[in-house]
Amino acid sequence: MTRWGMTIDLHRCVGCQTCTIACKQEHGLPADTAWRFVADCEVGEYPDVRRLFLPMQCMHCAEPPCVPVCPTGASRQREDGIVWIHYDACVGCGYCAMACPYQARHFVDDASGYFEQPTPSELAQARPGRHGVMTKCTFCKERVDDGLARGLRPGVDADATPMCAVACIGGAIVFGDLDDASSRVARLAADPRAQVLMPECGTQPRVYYLGD
Amino acid sequence: MARPMPATRRMMLPARPQTLWGWPAVINFALGGLGAGWYIVALLAAGLERSPGVAAASWAAPVLVLAGFAAVAGEAGRPLRGSRVLRRLWSSWMSRELLIGLAFVLLVSADLAFPLRLHRAQALVAATLLAVAQGCILRRARAIPAWDVPIMPALFLLSALLSGAGAYALVEAMAGRPMAPTVIGAVLGLVVIGFLAWTRYLGGRREPAFVRAVATMRHSRAVLVIEAGGYGLPLLLGLVALAAPASAGPALGLGGVLLVAGQVYAKARLIRAAGQLRPITLAISLPERRSS
Repeated sequence: MTRWGMTIDLHRCVGCQTCTIACKQEHGLPADTAWRFVADCEVGEYPDVRRLFLPMQCMHCAEPPCVPVCPTGASRQREDGIVWIHYDACVGCGYCAMACPYQARHFVDDASGYFEQPTPSELAQARPGRHGVMTKCTFCKERVDDGLARGLRPGVDADATPMCAVACIGGAIVFGDLDDASSRVARLAADPRAQVLMPECGTQPRVYYLGD
Repeated sequence: MARPMPATRRMMLPARPQTLWGWPAVINFALGGLGAGWYIVALLAAGLERSPGVAAASWAAPVLVLAGFAAVAGEAGRPLRGSRVLRRLWSSWMSRELLIGLAFVLLVSADLAFPLRLHRAQALVAATLLAVAQGCILRRARAIPAWDVPIMPALFLLSALLSGAGAYALVEAMAGRPMAPTVIGAVLGLVVIGFLAWTRYLGGRREPAFVRAVATMRHSRAVLVIEAGGYGLPLLLGLVALAAPASAGPALGLGGVLLVAGQVYAKARLIRAAGQLRPITLAISLPERRSS
């Protein structure tokens, strides 16, 4: 049984936001929407202060609180664990955003661009079906599915791997099958340093952070 | 070289206000609770029988509930897909709220067309469930510490009953119909229970994110409007009405207005001001403090 997951090594992340831009480019996200971003955090109190980059995205939880609250059934979870939104069924009520403790859901209001007039690139990537609905990171399920159909291995072959992991310049992001004990992501997730964000929420995230 | 301290949970991203649910959501929660509560109070005061008070509530409550739904539909990104909201009845309280609200409207309409005690009893149950369902919607909002608390459904039911009692008292006073002392006494008891539940809610959790979120409802203005204006003064006016029946009409009318205003204001603060997204935390270690 496949169970897609991700590890993010906080020691390797340099906060360059390449993953943020790669995600926006891959999915044609409008100007005010980013499905992932790297938070520039300052933790501790002077003089015991530390700067830390924390990439944030959908955690593709095993127990996603966003799915059962959705009144239309637009929020769904696949057999392989990917949590996604069926845009044609979403009413845009925002309830899922109120249920997600990781601030990972984003409402796309309109097709706002970066300039007064939409650029040719923005026009080419415009997706009207995604306006007025909730959106989020999909673990690039189209790339994963397409890659699998072509016999590629997600997490190993770049063409079948989420763009954030492909684009990361520090090699901080690793994607793969958590149920495949031989996969790199499974080994990293089993590392004693691996932890999930806010385990007290009981959501069982499938994105692991490698810290101290 | 500085040794790392043991990993402790630290805030990485601070809480920030939710921005998706605004005034339309407040209107839905306020009008839905007001309509449901008004019907419940009027019906219980009349012992499930038809009365002028029940008739007034029967005409007003469905309109209020539907107006709330219309308001919140305007906030959704794709309101024309509204019928899809009924598709997740087994898991989503938003689906259940809509179904129960529609059932309430149909049952009250049926009672207006064909007066039956059975219709009124069923509508009473639906009104109660509607108020509870609205509280459960917030209870399932895991991202909002101020909403994700076990007491929320009970708090919403009490709020509905209080605002409904206020509307009932106001209409009865305006119509010149005296309220029975037992009904006034029951409403005053409700006010006391409501106040205790509200204070229990505000002080019931020590989680820092919750304390920070509800701090906005402890500010002097909120305390003045919600606790003094929404609970204290109505209680006082109710006691005046019991002690001096000659002044009962104006006292109960004013008390009713204050009850409604206090509950609407409390819901508005709860949704808009206390609606803070949970801060993101991570367990990390920091270098040990270096001696100079």
